[in-house]
Amino acid sequence: MPSLLEQYLPLVIFIALAAIIAGALLVLPFLVAFKAPDPEKLSAYECGFNPFGDARMKFDVRFYLVALLFIVFDLEVAFLFPWAVAFKEAGSFGFWSMMFFLGVLTVGFVYEWRKGALEWD
Amino acid sequence: MAVAFFYLFSAVLIASAFAVIVSRNPVHSVLYLILAFVNGAGLFLLAGAEFLAMILVVVYVGAVAVLFLFVVMMLDVDFAELRQGFSKHLPVGAAVGAVVLGELGLVALGWQSAPGAKEAAAAPIVAGVSNTAALGQVLYTKYFLFFQASALVLLTAMIGAIVLTLHHRPGVKRQKIEEQNARTRDNVIEIKKVPSRAGV
Amino acid sequence: MVVDLTHYLVVSAIVFTLGVAGIILNRKNIIIILMSVELILLAVNINLVAFSASLGDLTGQVFALFILTVAAAEAAIGLAILVTYFRNRGTIAVEDINSLKG
Repeated sequence: MPSLLEQYLPLVIFIALAAIIAGALLVLPFLVAFKAPDPEKLSAYECGFNPFGDARMKFDVRFYLVALLFIVFDLEVAFLFPWAVAFKEAGSFGFWSMMFFLGVLTVGFVYEWRKGALEWD
Repeated sequence: MAVAFFYLFSAVLIASAFAVIVSRNPVHSVLYLILAFVNGAGLFLLAGAEFLAMILVVVYVGAVAVLFLFVVMMLDVDFAELRQGFSKHLPVGAAVGAVVLGELGLVALGWQSAPGAKEAAAAPIVAGVSNTAALGQVLYTKYFLFFQASALVLLTAMIGAIVLTLHHRPGVKRQKIEEQNARTRDNVIEIKKVPSRAGV
Repeated sequence: MVVDLTHYLVVSAIVFTLGVAGIILNRKNIIIILMSVELILLAVNINLVAFSASLGDLTGQVFALFILTVAAAEAAIGLAILVTYFRNRGTIAVEDINSLKG
């Protein structure tokens, strides 16, 4: 069995390459682009007006609720992975254990459905 | 080579953890937190916990950090005002930090493992089984109760979040598809005889 | 494990300390406090995984997974409380929270 680092060598190369390309795209414009700044060019463009207000908009709370429900189901899926890989070894007890787990989360899912948390009114 | 990666990950982890607590802009803090988690995942990987490393990236970088970003963006707060106590708390923070670090350093540098600790392993790691499969073999059977407890924790998080943040605006007209489908010509159209010269 | 266990312990001790210091330094900003708690839990997880690898025992990784679950749920609920508090009070200054009753 090759060592851990050898197994992850493709991943390391991939990340290094991605970092190099992204970094190059970030840095190159500063080096090669033609620059002749003046105040009007540098000011934020907002349809001819002077920019008003902050660029940071307030988010709606409903985005937060969606992200939050996503976390819960993300973790549920995280628990499903080892179960699927070791399905045979876990046996019928492991199977019913997972079914119970899914059942508990389905209770929550039914609750949020009935409450209308999934609706975007 | 692996040692070099260990030092790289640890150095970036510590630097970004430091940046989380001192940066002026909370958005930067969240981004540094993401960097810290990615490097923590690298450390997990070097320790052989491959599944945990990937889950750390998926759950933390993909979900929890996004949640933090949402909240920072959502709450329109004057963060400069919130930072005011920083220099006031600096001596206390540094002192407590030094004490905690000293104590933990005493433990981390002075520990020795008990004889027979390796033999007492509750779920020994077997060579030749992948990390995910090995976790799956014990997680759902041996640690059944903890697993179900985590289901309850997730259920609590789900219900608590809905109770706390869900507000339906009053007076919103919703589409009711079943009502729309149940409409027929007979029960919505009424034909009336209009007598001539009487108006409607 | 290629690296000595003590190295892992020192790293996690430093991250833990930074988390604790972060809670004290940013007393007013509850978002940073929650992030510091996440840092502390990351340090604990590094500890568990390092011991798991060094002792050849999978239990540490199993519990690290549970801690991950609890930490995510904690962040979710903590931020939900924060959002609700902000909506009611218009501020997130932690020092006013002692006026919450009942």
